[in-house]
Amino acid sequence: MPEVFIDGKRYEYEGDHQLLQFILDQGLEVPFFCYHPSMSIPANCRQCMVKVGQPVKDRESGEYELDENGDRVIRWFPKLQTSCNIKVADGMVVHTQETDELVERAQKDTLEFILANHPLDCPICDQAGECPLQIQTYKYGPEGSRFEVKKVHKPKRVQLGPRVILDAERCINCTRCVRFTDEISETHQLTIVSRGDKNYPTTAPGTEFDDNYSLNTVDICPVGALTSADFRFKARVWEMNQTPSIDITNGKGTNIDLWTRDNLVLRITPRFNEDVNDHWMPDEGREAYRVFNENRVSKPAQNLDGEQVKSSWNNALLTLAEKIEEHDGKEVLFVGSPHASVEENYVLMSVANLLGAKNPVFTPHIEEGYGDGFLLTDDQAPNTNGCRALGLDELSAADLKKEITGAKMVVLLNDQLVDRNVVSAKDIETPFTTVFATNHSETSKVADLVIPITTAAEHAASYVNVDNRAQRTVAAKETKYTNRRLDIEMSEGRLDRYGTSFDNWVTEDNKVDCMPFWNFTSQLADRLGLDLSYDTGRDVMNEISEKVPAFKGVSYSEMDANSGIVLEETSDKTVKS
Amino acid sequence: MSSADWKNYERVLIPDIDGLEKIDVYEENGGYSAFKEVLTDKKKWEGPKSVVDEVKAANIRGRGGAGFNAGLKWSFMPPSDGGPRYLACNGDESEPGTFKDRKIFEYNPHLFIEGALIAAYAMEVTAIYVYIRGEYKVYIDMMEKAVQDAYDKGFIGENIMGSDYSVDFYVHSGAGAYICGEETSMLESLEGKRGYPRVKPPFPAQKGLWGRPTTINNIETLAHVPNVINRGADWFSSIGAENHPGPILYGISGHVNRPGVYELPTGIPVLTLINEVAGGMRNGKELKAVIPGGSSTPIVRADQLDGITMDSDSLREVGTMLGTAGMVVMDEDTDMVDMLWRISHFYHHESCGQCTPCRDGTGWLEKILLRIKNGDGEIKDLDLLLDITTQMEGRTICALADAAAWPVRHTITRFRDEFEARCKKSVHAIA
Ligand SMILES: Cc1cc2nc3c(=O)[nH]c(=O)nc-3n(C[C@H](O)[C@H](O)[C@H](O)COP(=O)(O)O)c2cc1C
Ligand code: SF4
Ligand code: SF4
Ligand code: FES
Repeated sequence: MPEVFIDGKRYEYEGDHQLLQFILDQGLEVPFFCYHPSMSIPANCRQCMVKVGQPVKDRESGEYELDENGDRVIRWFPKLQTSCNIKVADGMVVHTQETDELVERAQKDTLEFILANHPLDCPICDQAGECPLQIQTYKYGPEGSRFEVKKVHKPKRVQLGPRVILDAERCINCTRCVRFTDEISETHQLTIVSRGDKNYPTTAPGTEFDDNYSLNTVDICPVGALTSADFRFKARVWEMNQTPSIDITNGKGTNIDLWTRDNLVLRITPRFNEDVNDHWMPDEGREAYRVFNENRVSKPAQNLDGEQVKSSWNNALLTLAEKIEEHDGKEVLFVGSPHASVEENYVLMSVANLLGAKNPVFTPHIEEGYGDGFLLTDDQAPNTNGCRALGLDELSAADLKKEITGAKMVVLLNDQLVDRNVVSAKDIETPFTTVFATNHSETSKVADLVIPITTAAEHAASYVNVDNRAQRTVAAKETKYTNRRLDIEMSEGRLDRYGTSFDNWVTEDNKVDCMPFWNFTSQLADRLGLDLSYDTGRDVMNEISEKVPAFKGVSYSEMDANSGIVLEETSDKTVKS
Repeated sequence: MSSADWKNYERVLIPDIDGLEKIDVYEENGGYSAFKEVLTDKKKWEGPKSVVDEVKAANIRGRGGAGFNAGLKWSFMPPSDGGPRYLACNGDESEPGTFKDRKIFEYNPHLFIEGALIAAYAMEVTAIYVYIRGEYKVYIDMMEKAVQDAYDKGFIGENIMGSDYSVDFYVHSGAGAYICGEETSMLESLEGKRGYPRVKPPFPAQKGLWGRPTTINNIETLAHVPNVINRGADWFSSIGAENHPGPILYGISGHVNRPGVYELPTGIPVLTLINEVAGGMRNGKELKAVIPGGSSTPIVRADQLDGITMDSDSLREVGTMLGTAGMVVMDEDTDMVDMLWRISHFYHHESCGQCTPCRDGTGWLEKILLRIKNGDGEIKDLDLLLDITTQMEGRTICALADAAAWPVRHTITRFRDEFEARCKKSVHAIA
């Protein structure tokens, strides 16, 4: 097998590798800025310099030539090489900054140049704390500066588009943002203008940077030159907890991170998943952070004499239990939701079965032509295929409307059917309707009973995307009833580990008075004398994987280990009892 | 012909013929016969490769600055796969001190066009581009006319002169960026993109214009080709310096009595060029220094010039290069600090800004030099300048960073006293 020697250590490899990526893949480090694994390689930052040589082969014998000590004779490249754009070759010998002083010096030199005209305004820069320039300067940069002349001044606070703001003085001209619009979003909205140290990226005159994916440039900008108009100045990175999650604004299942502070989600960024979204996400998905904080249903509510009033949990539970007992199981229509998780839909199904009601129904939420073949999909819901795989009965919008208007009692799982024009407010008002909702909507407004449930940011639960991939979220934000230090399903951030209570801001109002659907349902089952009880989404999934053929082998640990699991197509839709 | 004989040299690039820029006059004087011969005389020229071999044997070393054997460069083109292949002719001529290609545009455009056509045939090229610096508006217009005339006469186009060879010829105007003279930057510019030099490899012969095999040659380099075909490789290589042969256009500027472009053999002693060809120093002043081949080539002090001739071997002895043979002559009154600042200002202004060391190094160099020029510099600044050049050299995508660093390094080391005299006596300098 071909081999390469990095800082004296031998590595075997197969296939085609860029040297820098290969080094990173081994868990080693070489500083870099312009290189991005998903885009073309311009080799312009000149930060990733290493010393590279090839062993000399005897032309006739094809054997490596050896020196007097029996070591291979190495022919070194006359100049240092940028590791990002050089291919790993058999026998190659590489010295990084760890073993070569000249390399260390060259990297330091480049950083000195980058910093020469950089404003060094980390204390007021959003990027501080997650800034490759800051990190690499600490690790590899020069101490102090020899730059005593005037810095170049460039445009600041430039609103490039509705969502992205440029500080050209911070820009290090890596061209990542430009390459992003050329190669990934293909809108070609950005270009570098001017020349030399006056260079900076901008749009063509009279146009704006309104690309549907524009905020990705903020993520990949290795400095604070591009910032999010919405997020800038809201929080320091080190004050937030970062929790892996799944985008629930469409069917793609884009992998994301939720950034929380004081139980508010402050921003959403993409998380790498080669098979789903690579490093990217649409701007739209990021806007969804508000859904987790704002307009939340907190505390149950009940319609009394045409007016919704808050009620206690106990009262809500009793009311629902009584209503169910008043009706024959067959008279209750359970409506599942492509906007809710696999676990929630499954629990709904279980209750329906136990009550002898008919199998829950659902209708997909599709907007034809909305998708772009990239990360936006026609499907506006995150779990349509999850509902299908569970075996809920899929109905057209018209048929669902018929079912609802014909029912005596409706239990609706988080789907804003009125808002999305599947049914009218009137349709909902006729039967006794209980809505399990995360957010207030036109639908919850007209319900007889509203039970607040947790969002994807508050529970661990799974979603099956348009490509049949099951992926799960992790609880990122506390409710009135959870505690991040006690709840094992909750993500643990740096602050949880090392912070004091002083660092962990706790504003009680930011905790929503809601509970996971399965917890409420367990209480309801208890009240009704049904055999059903779940603590966590994990419990629910364990049961699903046993009972629903499509989910065989799916578990939280498997999903975590494999960045999601693609469900096998199965014709067997029977749920084992 | 030896370079000692230079007074009897007969010009072949810009001969003294009235109206030679007109295609009829050019033809009357044997023009386009070389091209016709390679296309039609199948006995003498068995095919494209025979032309490449002849040009390789002549050893025309590229006149754009790097001095690479033109025929050898042509031989790097991969075999034709039937798809498009390009010749890009570099008429960007923007290096300070260089103003020779314009003479070819002005006085003998068809010689260049014929040379480009022969080169194109030799490399089985399907289209030729000539990239001319935007400031040469007059020559761009002249060139367009010349190309049109050659089309009208059937020297360019389909099945040229009854052969099965076809080629197109386009004139392209630059827009004021020196960097577009760097060959891969020129390709980007031709493609309508920002003039950022490309990372090599891949080299243009593998992936050039629009990803297709491409060769880039300087205008003067190509203008030598018809004469090599007409008179043979031996004729060419017997002229001037042995390892750097042929006629060459010297562009002499600065403090001489007769600045201008002179066509002569390579290998003429520098002092002969100054004192005899260019009429000696202006106002009888003393010679102080010479920049031999464009502003990026290291400066040479007058006392280093004895016996040094204008060819790469001899100039290497004094640590410099022939470059474009655009020679800048400076007399005793020249202020080296001012001069160096002006050169650094140029490179700062022209860096494309892609590579960190060049983008931020060129500006830093200029600003320190300005400070010294204004009398605010300190002696430690000189060492800093030298450090910065070390940090720039050999660490960038193209050679502009080197071109910016060399003048600083060599002017300071060769005229250190003058720089120190301009600096404040700084505490840092006291040992
Ligand atoms: C910054 C820079 C500017 C250059 N400018 C020119 C130019 O204006 N004209 C030119 O012929 N070559 C220029 N060159 C050299 C070209 O890159 C290339 O080597 C040359 O055109 C090749 O032609 P030749 O082999 O015939 O000399 C420049 C190179 C650099 C690095
Ligand atoms: S704005 Fe950021 S991403 Fe764009 S070129 Fe500058 S540093 Fe790179
Ligand atoms: S060396 Fe300078 S001019 Fe050349 S590519 Fe790099 S930044 Fe541009
Ligand atoms: S990462 Fe290699 S040059 Fe920028």
